[in-house]
Amino acid sequence: MIDIKKTYKNYVDGKYVRSESGKTYTKELKNEFYELPLTSRKDIRDTVTSSKSGFIKWNGLTPYTRMQILYRLSEMIEGNKESYIELLVSHGTSKQKANKDIVLAIENIIWFAGLADKWEQLAGNLNPVSEEYFNISHQNPIGVVFSLSNSTVSLNNLLLSLLPPLTIGCSVISYSEESSVLALKFAEDINNSDFPSGSLNILTGKFENILDDVSKHVEINLVSLHKEIENEGLKRIQENASSSVKRVVSLPSISGLSSILPYLETKTVWHPKGT
Amino acid sequence: MKNMKTSDVSLQWSNVLEMVYESRIDSVGLNERVNSLATRSIKKDSKLEALKMIVTMCDLTTLEGEDTEGKISQMVAKAIKPNPLDTSVPSVAAVCVYPSLVSIAKEKVQNSNVKVAAVSSYFPSGQVPMESKLLDTKYAIESGADEIDIVINRKAFLEGDYRKVYDEIVALKEVCQDVHLKTILEVGDLKTYENIRKASLISLAAGSDFIKTSTGKLSIGSSRQACYVMLKSVLDFESMTGVKAGIKVAGGIRDAKDAIRYLVMINEEMGPDWLNPELFRFGASSLLDDVLKQIKKLQTGAYQAGYYFPRG
Amino acid sequence: MVDWQYSESIESSNIVSIKKKYSNYIGGKFVEPKSKKYINTISPSTEELLSKVPLSNEQDINSAVKSAKEGLEVWTKLTPNQRSRYLFKIARLIQERSREFAVLESLDGGKPIKESRDFDLPQVAANFFYFAGWADKLDLSWATKSLKPYGVVGQIIPWNFPLLMLAWKIAPALATGNTVVLKPAETTPLTALLFAEICEQAGLPSGVVNIVTGDGSTGSLIVNHKDINKIAFTGSTQVGKLIQKSLAGRDVGLTLELGGKAANIVYEDAAIDQAVEGVVNGIFFNQGHVCCAGSRLLLQESIHDQFVKKLEKRMQSLRVGNPLDKNTDIGAINSKEQLDKITSLVNEGVDDGGELFQTECELPGNGFWFRPTLFTNVQPSYSIAREEIFGPVLTTLTFRTPEEAVEIANNTEYGLSAGVWTEKGSKILWTADRLDAGVVWANTFNKFDPSSPFGGYKESGFGREGGRHGLLSYLKASS
Repeated sequence: MIDIKKTYKNYVDGKYVRSESGKTYTKELKNEFYELPLTSRKDIRDTVTSSKSGFIKWNGLTPYTRMQILYRLSEMIEGNKESYIELLVSHGTSKQKANKDIVLAIENIIWFAGLADKWEQLAGNLNPVSEEYFNISHQNPIGVVFSLSNSTVSLNNLLLSLLPPLTIGCSVISYSEESSVLALKFAEDINNSDFPSGSLNILTGKFENILDDVSKHVEINLVSLHKEIENEGLKRIQENASSSVKRVVSLPSISGLSSILPYLETKTVWHPKGT
Repeated sequence: MKNMKTSDVSLQWSNVLEMVYESRIDSVGLNERVNSLATRSIKKDSKLEALKMIVTMCDLTTLEGEDTEGKISQMVAKAIKPNPLDTSVPSVAAVCVYPSLVSIAKEKVQNSNVKVAAVSSYFPSGQVPMESKLLDTKYAIESGADEIDIVINRKAFLEGDYRKVYDEIVALKEVCQDVHLKTILEVGDLKTYENIRKASLISLAAGSDFIKTSTGKLSIGSSRQACYVMLKSVLDFESMTGVKAGIKVAGGIRDAKDAIRYLVMINEEMGPDWLNPELFRFGASSLLDDVLKQIKKLQTGAYQAGYYFPRG
Repeated sequence: MVDWQYSESIESSNIVSIKKKYSNYIGGKFVEPKSKKYINTISPSTEELLSKVPLSNEQDINSAVKSAKEGLEVWTKLTPNQRSRYLFKIARLIQERSREFAVLESLDGGKPIKESRDFDLPQVAANFFYFAGWADKLDLSWATKSLKPYGVVGQIIPWNFPLLMLAWKIAPALATGNTVVLKPAETTPLTALLFAEICEQAGLPSGVVNIVTGDGSTGSLIVNHKDINKIAFTGSTQVGKLIQKSLAGRDVGLTLELGGKAANIVYEDAAIDQAVEGVVNGIFFNQGHVCCAGSRLLLQESIHDQFVKKLEKRMQSLRVGNPLDKNTDIGAINSKEQLDKITSLVNEGVDDGGELFQTECELPGNGFWFRPTLFTNVQPSYSIAREEIFGPVLTTLTFRTPEEAVEIANNTEYGLSAGVWTEKGSKILWTADRLDAGVVWANTFNKFDPSSPFGGYKESGFGREGGRHGLLSYLKASS
């Protein structure tokens, strides 16, 4: 009896979609083969359209609501803990390590959820200018973020590549090569967590195929690379990005307040004080 | 407001101009007040009476390029007897049509209390010279219209020429004489609450019997917030001049529940005196059907389907 | 013409089952009082007896503090993430049982169900959610390692927002690593005792939260207990001063949130209709039983008559009645005592020469009620212009210049909150800078958020609740 293998699709705009190219690539795990979407250039274009409107919706929510949604995500993953562990084990991780990874991942979601309605109190401030003016600096999220996840297959690493921009209100396109199966399984929990469509899109494929499109696309506001890219590729990304002054950051997967800083735009407002 | 002398009119204008420039509204605070009014719930018995009252306040409307004499005849029949199987349901206040359909409407409403209202002044955009606006208004009145619904000159308003907006309404009121005049502000074009207040005061000062929210032709029609701004303007105008003008809300009032919320707001902000068709109207098409359904539901206890009620 | 009747849209009280008698919640268990004594709690809108709760004595308090100390050992050993999760769990449970809590709050305390359902309960849940998120990131809050929890905290709360005041106290205390002994007000103990059930449901370790009921004597016992490291009190300035005196010479942390006599300043260039709404909300919300109530209306003289006319008209549509009626705006006065106090001050105001306006509305037969009241023609020296009335009574004073407005606003021993109404931005900022008040509301009033610090200047107390600054109330500087 042949098992009917689950087809994993990309998760874009709150729906599961195949690549418009119809192409897939194979990932072999323990005794199973998975066919995963080989994201194409047109897919990128469609995803960015979705992420743009997703940003407006997601950033338009109150910080309190974003916190509630992120907390719910932690509840979803907690409920599916066993199946995540199973998946990591099939990737070759030991059961003990897998368990540790999931526990840490959930801790981090809860940490970021509780940051959603507080980070502004830590990042913004009143400025003590020397004239009779009220002067305040506050931060806005930069917009649509493309995030290339780490090559290690780890839920915690995957989450740390997308939670910081997401928490502060950016919409995120999370792209995975090696951890593609994990990422698309994670998409199911996103789907169950009340995120507005387009706020978090999950794609898989070979980054090389879409490197130019991503780094040139004017409506992607920031590219964050959580994976080592060889020099040639990195140089090309940076050169492409320069044509629209797009931000490119290479980041380790970390938590803590400094993880959100690259995704912020500071706005400073002045107003006189007088009768 | 009838037959005002020119000296009265210009005295009015300078006072109103002052009020216009003193228009200050905080939109956040206003939204909170309007939302809190929506939490009132009324007694079941009162609800039935309220629904019947809504019927008497409806101007049953059709303003389409495809309107024909046949279509109007159908609508007028429904306007007179909205539910032929239930005689407790009263007639509506008026039917509202384009000028070329006024004669047929007038013919069909004979022997009933239903009035015929016509839109004019090159409804809905008003983007033509004054002569054209006067012409289509005269034509509608000659055809027998009891009421006229005009649009304000948004072009002039948004260009800051308030005097022109005012003068046009005065001229159109002149043509109307005793014919009841409703002035449409088109709140969807005005956008801010302060603009709505200014336009309200200008229209009232120029002699409008009613101010009306919308043409119903934009995606943004009436809102309870716009109505709130207008009712405050009407009350302030009354306290300045002693004149009571009316309010018509049109465009986007889809169901009975929403209509009741408007009535609650009028009741609580203005008082029960204002709850009658002489001072409050709904511009309706699909609203009437939902009201009929809700009346039947209260009488029978069962939810209704649309096909129980005649097409209009 | 239709005779408009608002429906008696009564919220069913079936959702909550009230016990005939309650016990204290100590060490994770429901414990009968060693004192063997109980006090009655009634519904102020009908005067009917709701239940009996313990009148705790010294032994009961000793037991509670002992449990809190034991709870502290356990609570301290948990990881910050674990503490955070307990608080998230509590927040969720409150959300789920919101309706039940709201009805109980209205029954026990007299506030309209519209308020308890739409304001109190959502704020309660939000406070637990907000502080849950601080528990695992305290190191970020003030960027210092030298702030540590006090340990065992004694908390005494008032009757005007019983469950919300409990949330304002317990959530930050637990998030910062403390354990608590909390005493709800004598007239409103029931939602606190129901909250104890939530602690049980959440599996909160025993002793982390302890709820003990009683009267002033019970409060005293808590304040004077040698093993309590910090006291947090919300209530009258009179009692606050007594507590501060009791703690003199002892190394015990203290935060006080006391009374107020807030000025609501309306400049002539305000958005008048919205200012009227804001003034009404400022004094009649929660029957005026609000420490930060806008009880002094400071009107610029040029708009006095126009404003008062609109205000009186607006007041007429306020509905006083059964708190469980969804259409009620103003509920019952919390107790006979409070009603007498309000009545006496109002009579004084009339005797002093103030002009009285009260709305015409029918009042229910039983219960404690007071009609919305407005005084005009008042001088700053009248007692109604100086003393906190804590009822639905608004006093009007006039000013001519912004400097004068600020002077009159600050001419009080209180300094909790203030309102400023003008459409001119620079005037808001200028005025806010000069007001001696811990909270300034510009073009709004009575806005609260767990992330926004709340607390007073001068005799309105010290310390802040809510926000990053609110954490400091429960953290002690240590080397």
